[in-house]
Amino acid sequence: MMNSNSDRVRQLSDWLAGTDIARLELRGHGESICLRREGGRIVVAQDEPALVPADAPSVTATAASVGVFLHRHPLRDTAIAETGTTVCRGQTVGLLQIGALLLPVASPCDGVVAAMLLEHGATAGYGERLVELHPLPAGA
Amino acid sequence: MIEILSASALATVQDLGRTGALRWGVGTSGAMDPLALAAGNILLGNDEGAAAIEVPVFPFQVRFAQDCAFAITGADVAARLDDEALLPWWSAPARAGQVLQLGLPQPGPWRASRAYLCVAGGVDVPPALGSRSTQLRGAFGGHEGRALRQGDSLRVGSTNGEQRTTGIGLVPPALALPLHVDDLPAIRVLPAAEYANYSEASRAAFWSEPWKITAQSDRYGYRLSGTPLEAVSALEMRSHGIVPGVIQVPPGGQPIVQMRDAQPSGGYPKLGTVIEADLWRLGQAPIGSRVRFVETNWDDAVAALAQTRRWLDEVRRLVELHRGSR
Repeated sequence: MMNSNSDRVRQLSDWLAGTDIARLELRGHGESICLRREGGRIVVAQDEPALVPADAPSVTATAASVGVFLHRHPLRDTAIAETGTTVCRGQTVGLLQIGALLLPVASPCDGVVAAMLLEHGATAGYGERLVELHPLPAGA
Repeated sequence: MIEILSASALATVQDLGRTGALRWGVGTSGAMDPLALAAGNILLGNDEGAAAIEVPVFPFQVRFAQDCAFAITGADVAARLDDEALLPWWSAPARAGQVLQLGLPQPGPWRASRAYLCVAGGVDVPPALGSRSTQLRGAFGGHEGRALRQGDSLRVGSTNGEQRTTGIGLVPPALALPLHVDDLPAIRVLPAAEYANYSEASRAAFWSEPWKITAQSDRYGYRLSGTPLEAVSALEMRSHGIVPGVIQVPPGGQPIVQMRDAQPSGGYPKLGTVIEADLWRLGQAPIGSRVRFVETNWDDAVAALAQTRRWLDEVRRLVELHRGSR
């Protein structure tokens, strides 16, 4: 039973030590942590700036998994949801590729696609913000 | 039940084929793109070899008479479920009454000609000689031994009440396992028994020139056109056993590649055999398109088959991992 953040950090560090991952960044609920490999040791990187500022726009579709973010399907040359497109809640606005698997990135709201926050083909971290949307008022 | 709304002919129920029946003169049948069929089934949590509908002519429409998870693989046919556009190589849930429309194959990085509609539980037609594939020549297997017609209803197999995860897709093997020569789809071929009976120039041309898939190409065989292949001497042969992939050369010198519905015997000289691992590449090549042949050997042919096996295993692993995480 882990009851403190320091226990969790220790557990994460132990797991990380057994891999060849050089850097692990976790974010959520206004908190973030970055673990970095220094030789055989895993250290908490205090001074690393977060990749996304904490006050970023509130309505974003985020990565439910680590993967490669795709704006368009590998067989298509047009984006799944171009900027300016109106989408429904749950509608696919991008894809996360994990090897051969493609997972949908779903819009969290009825809204208009405002911006892709990550390049097509860029690697997305867990929970990373991928698509910014301007929500439509309810009933619109 | 799935109800066929299209009048277009030639869609058939297929699985991975009726192997082991050649001794009775029964050909293999089965999906022209077995990788697409297997992948669609894996997306749905089916056995890889569950029966599905192979669609070679578009548009094609079905109505789901029951709630049903399905997957579309093969050619990108801009599928729509009622008004909702679906991505290619994707699984989705259908509610009873919804209509699925498959449109024309789309241009893109992979030109393909056949789409597969897989359903959770598989298409439930009675197996014949161990397979649910349609044996068109023998008029058995599949749905009443024939291509589907408007008004046909197909039963969907049981999933034992198990909910199947949908809303996920795959990167097609054409992109994951690409094979091209001079920007044309390439297909690996083993030289066959009568290879040496063709002139050196013809043998060289077979490997170095593009071959066009003529309009006289179907599930039985692909008739190709290119520089005619010249035999060194006329060969009179007795009929002998042949399998899908065998490349025969009739007297005119324009080769025929035997495909899934090939008859089990033939008497034309054999120049080569398309390796099993690449039959899907040819099976998806549209009429009018051109392909290139690449000479290979036994070891590389076996390795290619192992590579497609690894791709399927990896797809299953990832899909099951995702299913387990939900």
